[in-house]
Amino acid sequence: MTALRTVKNIALCFVAVSLTAACEGNGNGSSTPTEVKTFHYSMRSSPGSLDPARVSTVSANVMVQTLYDSLYAYKYLQRPYELKPRLAAAMPEISDDGLTYTIRLKQGIRFADNRAFSNGRGREVVAEDFVYALKRHFDPDSRSVAAWIWQGRIVGLDEWKRNGADYDQPVKGLQAIDRYVLQIRLTRPYPQLVHNLAMGPSAAVPREAVEFYGREFSVNPVGSGPFRLISYDATEAVLVRNENFQREPVSLAEEGYDPITQGQYGLEVIDGRRAPFIDRLEISFIDEGSARWSSFTKGNEVQMAGVPAEQVYRVLESRDPVVLKPEYARKYHMSTEKEAGFVYTAFNMDFPETGYHPDPVRNERNRALRCAIMKARDWNARNDSWYGGLGEIFPGIIPSSVPEFDPELSRESVEYDPEGARALLAEYGWNAGNLPELVYSSQPGPTSRLFFEQFRGWLTNIGYPKEKIILKTYATFADLSKAWHNSEEQLLSLGWLLDYPDAESSLQLFYGPNRSPGSNSSNYSNPEYDRLYEATSVMQPSAERTALYRQMNRMVIDDCVVISGLSRVGIALWHKNVVALPDNNFVGGQFLQYVDVLDKAVGSAVR
Amino acid sequence: MNAAAEAMQRRHGDSLWNKAWRKFRHDRVGVVALLVVCAYAIVALGVVLGWWATGWADISGPKWAPLSSEHWLGTNIIGQDIFSRAVYSTRTAFEVGLIVALGATFIGAVLGAIAGFFSATWIDEAVIWLMGVLDSVPFILLVAAIAYSLQDSPWAMHIAMIATFWIGTARLVRGEVIKLKGQEFVESAHAIGLGRMTIIFRHILPNTFHVLLVQATLSFVAAIKSEVILSFLGLGVKDGMSWGLMISESTFEVLAGYFNNFIAASVLMFGLVMAFNMFSDALQDALDPRTVK
Amino acid sequence: MEVLLYSLRKLLAGIPLVLGVTLISFLLIVYFGPDKTYELVGKNPTAEQIAEVRSQLGYDRPFVTRYMEYLREIVTLDFGSSESTDEKVSSILARTIPVSLLLALPGFILGNALGVLLALVAAYFRGGLVDKLIMGSAAVGMSVSYLIAIIGFQILLSSADGLDLFPVRGWDTSTPLAYIQHVTVPTLATVFVALGYNTRFYRAVIVEEMTRDHVRTARAFGIPPAKIFYRNILKNSMVPIVTRVVFSIPLIVISGSLLLESYFGIPGIGKVSYDAIITGDQPVLKAVVALTAILFVVAQLLTDICYRLVDPRVSLGASTR
Repeated sequence: MTALRTVKNIALCFVAVSLTAACEGNGNGSSTPTEVKTFHYSMRSSPGSLDPARVSTVSANVMVQTLYDSLYAYKYLQRPYELKPRLAAAMPEISDDGLTYTIRLKQGIRFADNRAFSNGRGREVVAEDFVYALKRHFDPDSRSVAAWIWQGRIVGLDEWKRNGADYDQPVKGLQAIDRYVLQIRLTRPYPQLVHNLAMGPSAAVPREAVEFYGREFSVNPVGSGPFRLISYDATEAVLVRNENFQREPVSLAEEGYDPITQGQYGLEVIDGRRAPFIDRLEISFIDEGSARWSSFTKGNEVQMAGVPAEQVYRVLESRDPVVLKPEYARKYHMSTEKEAGFVYTAFNMDFPETGYHPDPVRNERNRALRCAIMKARDWNARNDSWYGGLGEIFPGIIPSSVPEFDPELSRESVEYDPEGARALLAEYGWNAGNLPELVYSSQPGPTSRLFFEQFRGWLTNIGYPKEKIILKTYATFADLSKAWHNSEEQLLSLGWLLDYPDAESSLQLFYGPNRSPGSNSSNYSNPEYDRLYEATSVMQPSAERTALYRQMNRMVIDDCVVISGLSRVGIALWHKNVVALPDNNFVGGQFLQYVDVLDKAVGSAVR
Repeated sequence: MNAAAEAMQRRHGDSLWNKAWRKFRHDRVGVVALLVVCAYAIVALGVVLGWWATGWADISGPKWAPLSSEHWLGTNIIGQDIFSRAVYSTRTAFEVGLIVALGATFIGAVLGAIAGFFSATWIDEAVIWLMGVLDSVPFILLVAAIAYSLQDSPWAMHIAMIATFWIGTARLVRGEVIKLKGQEFVESAHAIGLGRMTIIFRHILPNTFHVLLVQATLSFVAAIKSEVILSFLGLGVKDGMSWGLMISESTFEVLAGYFNNFIAASVLMFGLVMAFNMFSDALQDALDPRTVK
Repeated sequence: MEVLLYSLRKLLAGIPLVLGVTLISFLLIVYFGPDKTYELVGKNPTAEQIAEVRSQLGYDRPFVTRYMEYLREIVTLDFGSSESTDEKVSSILARTIPVSLLLALPGFILGNALGVLLALVAAYFRGGLVDKLIMGSAAVGMSVSYLIAIIGFQILLSSADGLDLFPVRGWDTSTPLAYIQHVTVPTLATVFVALGYNTRFYRAVIVEEMTRDHVRTARAFGIPPAKIFYRNILKNSMVPIVTRVVFSIPLIVISGSLLLESYFGIPGIGKVSYDAIITGDQPVLKAVVALTAILFVVAQLLTDICYRLVDPRVSLGASTR
């Protein structure tokens, strides 16, 4: 889900190193067992709507995963990520043709108590709740931002929408066989379906709550997650334990606990106990890095925080390996986390100045120009300036956070090579006189401006005239977003977060039919690429599929469509008495149910 | 002819300005402030003429370099020279300040004078209505909307400020004009049949010049200060560099222990704003016929 | 009765202002404001979905229809639901306005009270050392940017790097003590920035009154200075002072303070309005704009009534001035 509004994060890259932001509330207070055990977490931005159908930001996804429950989830500690059943009793039974999924639900799971239910008591979660939740995405009234995930994939669902989105009408491919069995029939194989069923938008939603609250359902969430909401505004959300949340005890072994890499956090104390371990969860939304950091270091406010990129040098003794300075190591636990995504700069191929050109000679020259601009990019400098020097630079569009990453791939496309760039320009007849104007579009704000100035600096280093590199600022992000969805932008610095650990999630960015207003903002159009994309889209993970993925990756690199990429790495710090291991990728907000707060420090010091 | 009126006006004007100049000369704080402003103006002029701070956009240095002979005030996060950027911003400050001050004062003077002259008619009502309306539209909405409607024009911020800053001037001028229009020299001008516009702009408005001058200096300062907030919100200076942008950049540096950007920009801005405020005060005192020295 | 009739007449006269503000703002919002469509469609929207969302947002209807609907909303004070969170606009306002008020009030009162006090002292010693000292400090205060003041006070008073006396952020009004703890630092920043302006403005007002003919005459007649000061100067100065104070109220009630609220994590109307502006959340914006305009009209009325309350004789003088 995170990818839905990824681009927003991009532009806000400077805060990005602090991907992990959380905090503990009453850290230095005495939390005796009789007291309300509180954990004070923090996130960068206010989530907006909490309706699972309208989750469009990272922070909204965290909230939804805390308030609602989905069929599947990623194991808390296992890396690489691995799915486990959550509300489902087991992994789905898939028919041989890969088209029919039969999913059995756990019994006796109940929604949180809420006045939306007839007697105020949360009723049992049943298969019909998932049918309803998925149908909602196709009901125009619910304004789903996630319908594209299932569009054209589930038998009869698109017709159901065309026929007026009447919930009493059945959908052929989406049925509750009985109270506890859900059956999904696909139009063609969709190997990523199980991943999608682990995302926020496929959470179980009780129909009576939507009907009871109407539009305000978005701020009156009713789910079966570990916590329920008691107050919510633009600066803070307060959640309390959902008394109806009764699940089997945590098994660290099953969650993929690795004592060697995770032993220092004191996670053993949660083994064999029933989550959640805290009574109250306060989540502050803090945009300003400085305010967040002050609040965290204070001790009695925010208890877990991502280290802002500009602070990285201040808190670290060494960056490789990442080691905290002793004064911080004494006070805080630390983890590093690489985002499952990356930042990149995309060319819009619709612009004949630098993109596709009807004249084959010019077309080839444009490609050389793009490649030269790519070589001019000093990824290390960008990493050093904006990501605390911790980011991971990799060639192409398949980051190392997915299994299909190719460690053998040539790194030439991410090497800083101003000499090579100048030579390439000269070879293809580009000079200061005939180089086209480059318009770099950006949202407002000092950081975006510095991004531009750095970009311009690299280009002037290869002889690009300074006045031909133009900054186009939009007054608001919404305006910029509109412009690029309509293919009006020549150059865009973006970021992308993957929805699931499968390279398909980023390969779709260059699939022809996804062109503007779709996610292919480059408007890349390569029939061979499209053919491979379509072929792989129905394949289960295999060595063959991986080979094809890598072939597509190389096409994008060879055509110099995109200057890519860098996966940001965040450092999270949290108080010693907090038992947790934060994750902002696929586990996301679900880690909050495993947080415990003790009255003394736990775990061992990091060296 | 209108000799009588002109003589009257000249006498009024001459004495005011002569007296003001005498008073101002004896105000040491005011004189020093004026000298400081002039020094800033020379720095700004040098930037315009390309004498210094030409390398403000280069990214040649290392990240966050400390003070050195090469980078007098160190470098910023992408290795740009902070001293050059701070100096270059002086030009931006004057550009923003002057354009907004002149624009706002001009519009304020014209509309205020017209409203005052035609006070208690529909023209006056219309101007008052306009002032009330613009006062009540949220400032940021106005700026954002203007920024959008002018696409990415570098003048969006200036226009937005002018659109709101003229109101204060217009209110004062309107009051002054209402006072003046009952005076003898205006009545004699009417008597000899001068056109109304001639009377307003040739005879009345020049007598409000002391108000305009003070208002212009106030708008200048307000513009420089508003620029900081607008740049922080991303609605400020589009191309080039400004103290506001430097301060915005620095908000995520100060807690990391890098104060160069913050100090360079705030100190330079503080100096200019302070000097201008002092100068404006001295000017106000000097031009006030009631103050006795 | 007279006052009531007068108020009614004034309120009616305020209608053109409300119409003007709402019309201009709505024009700006509709034609130049951000387009929310692309925030509400998914990652891979089709043209059909885009059209669907635009129609839900009302973008496809003619301006006149939409403005008429806006006017109807103003009359009924029902602005629908936020397009960002789907929360009712009325509940958003009911939640945030009291917070902004509580946040702004101490700074507003202190800033003005101290401003008047300092101005009186400065004016009393006009031209002397005390005057120079006060006005010099005012100039210093005026020369510091709001942003710098906020960051400075936060680091200095709240952070672990500074004195660590107050919470860095948050809002709690459950007890008077909690309220004081949370409101102190924002108040200090506000007062620090506003005091210079206020002192300067009020000093100018008072000095103007001091140099009036009747004051000079009174002085010539040997009336004790303290009496002149109270009777002639202070009373007459109240008119412009009250005007300034009353006219600041709409901005406090409805605009809040974006910078204060976002730096100190205070759930007020300032942040809400700003977010609405930059994301194009029209229902919220419409409500904020309309309420601001209405409050301005009310403020105007209040000032007029205050003229009479402060000094019945002044109202006559004021109208001829």
